[in-house]
Amino acid sequence: MEPERLEPFVWRIPVGTVDGMRVPGIVFASDQLMGKAVADRAVLQVANVATLPGIVDASYAMPDIHWGYGFPIGGVAATDPETDGVVSPGGVGFDIACGVRLIRSDLEWERDAKGVIEELVHTLAARVPRGVGTKGRMRLSREEMRTLLAQGVRFPLSKGVGTDADAEFCEDRGTLADARPEHVSDRAVERGMSQLGSLGAGNHFLEVQVVDEVRDARAANVMGMFEGQVCVMLHSGSRGLGHQVCTDFVKVMDREMPKAGIEVPDRQLACLPLQHEQAQRYLGAMAAAANFARANRHVLTDGVRESFEHVFGRSASDLHLELVYDVAHNLAKLEDHQVDGRTRTVCVHRKGATRAFGPGHPELPAAYRDIGQPVTIPGSMGSASYVLVGTAEAAGRSFSSTCHGAGRAMSRTQAKKVMSGPALADTLREQGIAVAASQPRLLAEEAPYAYKDVSEVVSVCEGAGLSRVVARLRPVGVVKG
Amino acid sequence: MDAGYEILEHTADVGLRAWGSSPEAAFEQAGWALAEILGAMTEGPGQVRRVRAQADDMAALAVAFLDELLFVHESEEAAFAAITVSRVGARDLDGEVEVVPLSGEPEGTAVKAATYHQLRVATEPGGHTEVTVFLDV
Repeated sequence: MEPERLEPFVWRIPVGTVDGMRVPGIVFASDQLMGKAVADRAVLQVANVATLPGIVDASYAMPDIHWGYGFPIGGVAATDPETDGVVSPGGVGFDIACGVRLIRSDLEWERDAKGVIEELVHTLAARVPRGVGTKGRMRLSREEMRTLLAQGVRFPLSKGVGTDADAEFCEDRGTLADARPEHVSDRAVERGMSQLGSLGAGNHFLEVQVVDEVRDARAANVMGMFEGQVCVMLHSGSRGLGHQVCTDFVKVMDREMPKAGIEVPDRQLACLPLQHEQAQRYLGAMAAAANFARANRHVLTDGVRESFEHVFGRSASDLHLELVYDVAHNLAKLEDHQVDGRTRTVCVHRKGATRAFGPGHPELPAAYRDIGQPVTIPGSMGSASYVLVGTAEAAGRSFSSTCHGAGRAMSRTQAKKVMSGPALADTLREQGIAVAASQPRLLAEEAPYAYKDVSEVVSVCEGAGLSRVVARLRPVGVVKG
Repeated sequence: MDAGYEILEHTADVGLRAWGSSPEAAFEQAGWALAEILGAMTEGPGQVRRVRAQADDMAALAVAFLDELLFVHESEEAAFAAITVSRVGARDLDGEVEVVPLSGEPEGTAVKAATYHQLRVATEPGGHTEVTVFLDV
């Protein structure tokens, strides 16, 4: 495979690299990141995605690209309903609407929080349910689940959990209106009813962080962020409910696809034309799962506020524990974009990629209209995280998408060989980072050294014009599932 | 060896390859491979749960079977003491598992689902079967 370099951070995978490509692949990467993407065959997956019916422009990959299941992680693909474009549940992934939210406070690290960080982390660990299975903070009846799936964060809000501003600063204001709970299977509902307000396991986490560098003072100011400020970053998704929705529809599409005359190079790319009844059902069920994911992070936020209130003896509103933004990195959405010189409504799949609208976009909360959409990029445990904003330029480059994280560089077994979980916890503590993990021996699977350098990933995004860096945060407390 | 499994691990993904002298034996081994990845292997006796799955071909059936085990593991927060597959048909299978509630968090990798990615189930005329499935973790 011979990717062609078009620009310092832009590479093209020509049509013909694999049979049936309809558009080229475009990968945003530095030399080093591109080398890794070629070596782990993720670039081949970018080419495979380019075979999907109705794909427009290119099959894109963000700089944190790595090998995935069918779609590469970091992949972005837009399909056009007018040209029999498809939707693929695998192009969204099992953890539908998994995403990151950032919560700010008025606390200053050195002055207010440094002395109580151990207590804070252990309070969070006790009040935020996490790990495999796990009962969440709210247990719902089947009927309540149907309402929640239709309403997203408006459901917990109606129960007195959270604030109106939490909805305002969430993608889609916390509710995807086209959700169709009736297309979510009973089993998916069953898995979700006990899990609302639970973090999950694996790479999901909650971190107490400090803003240690502001690079764009104006944007940071608009987001209410300042150097030395204590923030909380939360990474979680739609839990078992979303996994089940994806499982159900991959199976349906795998079965229906041959009847629609579609062939794909990997069964996990199973897809159907957007007009197909099962595709419409998937989009409705996916939106419902996305509503669950946002509501899940919303309810988790309540656990964060409660913990801070307990430790600092002030109310959450007095502490200004407010949502900066919440955005997903596994989702498919119908959006208007310029394709071949005209505006078309296309289905943008983002799998391990984040929507990043530029300034002026009507979807943005009024407060962010001038600066662009905030994007929160988690580093791996113990390394820096970033807050970015979308650019106008990204609309024409990547369907307004940017990276979502660092991307793995080392297998879990390899990572555990480098250092044991408890030894890693000690190392983090020596760096002044408090740690609470429900599976201490597994901590090393998610070690910073097992991931690519997130700083390089975000600087490539900046270099390629996909987003701009606003601030860097460093962790001071880690709560893992 | 007659029946067994290995866990396949690369940078970001985890998979399993299982084999046996019959489809039933290979599917059981695939179940044990999943249980090991989850850190959910235990000793009985436990509660018996019937496991059934349907799909249009044997490869999809392997995915459906592993998804059933994942559902039992997650919904009951349980580990596996026994995995028995009594019958693998062309489009469905029957089996049962014995489960014991987990005591604390399992020391394994959380698995979201079994995938169709590079999915392969091959049966030789004598019945020897090999199953390869990748998991989303």
